[in-house]
Amino acid sequence: MKKDFDTSDCYTIQGKLALPYTYFAGRVGSAFITAIRDKQKIMGVRCNACGKVFVPPRQTCERCMEDVRSNWVELQNTGEVVNFTVVRYDDKHLPRKAPFVLAMIKLDGADTPMTHIVEGIAPDKVAEGLKVKAVFAKQTTNTILDIEHFIPLE
Amino acid sequence: MSEFFGIKVEDIFNSMQARFRPEGASGVNKTFGYDITGIGKWKLIIKDVKMTLDKTDDLAGCDVAMETSGETFVGINIGKIDAMAAFTSRKLKVKGDLNTFGLTSRMFQKYMMPDQGIMPEQELLVLKKTISVNQKFATGPVFGKFLKALKDKKILAIKCPQCGRLQSPPREVCAICRVGNTEWVEIGPKGEMRMMEYCFYASPDPLTGETRETPYGAIGILLDGCRDEEVFWHLLRPDQLDRVKMGSVLYGKVSHGSRLRPVWNDNRTGSIDDIKYFEIDE
Repeated sequence: MKKDFDTSDCYTIQGKLALPYTYFAGRVGSAFITAIRDKQKIMGVRCNACGKVFVPPRQTCERCMEDVRSNWVELQNTGEVVNFTVVRYDDKHLPRKAPFVLAMIKLDGADTPMTHIVEGIAPDKVAEGLKVKAVFAKQTTNTILDIEHFIPLE
Repeated sequence: MSEFFGIKVEDIFNSMQARFRPEGASGVNKTFGYDITGIGKWKLIIKDVKMTLDKTDDLAGCDVAMETSGETFVGINIGKIDAMAAFTSRKLKVKGDLNTFGLTSRMFQKYMMPDQGIMPEQELLVLKKTISVNQKFATGPVFGKFLKALKDKKILAIKCPQCGRLQSPPREVCAICRVGNTEWVEIGPKGEMRMMEYCFYASPDPLTGETRETPYGAIGILLDGCRDEEVFWHLLRPDQLDRVKMGSVLYGKVSHGSRLRPVWNDNRTGSIDDIKYFEIDE
C-alpha cells in the first residue's frame, strides 16, 4: 500500500504477552467435562419450564431463570454445523495450525450450539447444515478438547 | 410401603438405635411419641442414657408427641424441610412442648441415605495456564521519531502551530486547537519534579506480561523548556520515592520540586525504556 506521508520514522515494536490465568470450570462445567472424559458422553441440561436443552450446560435458564443444573440429559455425539469460521492465522494460543475450521455445532437433541473444531474436510467445503460427529480424544487434558474434534458424518 | 425423597419412614425409625449418641442423651428422661399419618405410631423412651423404641398404637403417657405426614417427617430428618416452618404451617402438630423434640437432634446422628457417605465427592476441574500472545505496536511517523531520538539520548516534543503548547510524547494533532502539529523541539533532558503517583499495584506490561516491582513512583516531570501542564511521565528511581519533593503551581504561586535527571540505558533500542528512570539531580 502506498503511503502519502514520510514513513522513514515508522517502525514496529514486537512484544510477547505472557498471560497467566486460572479457570475454574464450576460444578456444572466439571460434570460436563468429566462425562466426556470418562464416559465419552456429551451431557446437557434441560429447562423444565421451557424445555430448552443447553449444551454446554449451565446453571440457570437464560429465559426462565429456572435452576436447571441437575436436569441432566444425554445427547447424541452427532450434530449439525449451524455457523462456522475459518481461522487463517497462526498463533501460539490457537489449538490448530491455520487454516482450520471453528464451527458452531448444534448436537442432535440440543437447542444451543457449542463451538468446536471440524476436521476431515477441506475448509472451503464446510457449509451450514453439514452433519458431523464427535471424535473423542485418547489423551485427556481436562478441557473441552477431550472431544478432539468433529468430523463429517459421511 | 411408601417412600418420600427415596426414603421410607420405617428406615428412619429402624436406624435410630444405630444412630443413637449416648453422650447427647445424658440427663434426658423423656418419652417421645410419633404419629405418622397412615403409616404408624412409634414411642421412643430415653431413660438413663439408654433408648427403647416401640411400634405401638398406644401413645398414652408420652411427654411430648408429634403428628405429621410421612413426607414432612422424612423431609425434616434429611434436612429438606424446616421443622419450624412445618410447625407454623400446621403440617406438624405437637402435643406438649415443641422444644422437647429439639433434644432429639443431639441424641441422634443425622440420617444418611444408604449410598451417602460412600459417594465420592464430585471432581472439580481447575485449569492453570500461561498463554503467550504475540503483540505488535506500530509507532507511526510521529511517535516513531520521538522513540528514535531516545536512542540518541534526546527527548523531543512536538509544538502546536496555533497555541504553541508542547506535547511529549508527541501527538500528530493538537487536541485543543485541532490542527496538525508540525514543529519539533528538543526538551530537557533535566527537569523539575511536579507530582508522583505512589503505585502499589502494577498491571502487566502489555508487551511482555511482566509486572514491575512495587511500590514504584509514576512521576510527572516538567522538563526544561516546558511550562504549565506540559509534564512528561516516567518513573522515579525506586529508592528515592520517599526523598523526592513534589512541586506545584497553585493560583500562580510556584512551589519548586526536586531537580531530576534521566538515567539512560546503555543498550538503547528506541523504546520508552531507553530511559531507565529519573533520579534526583544532586
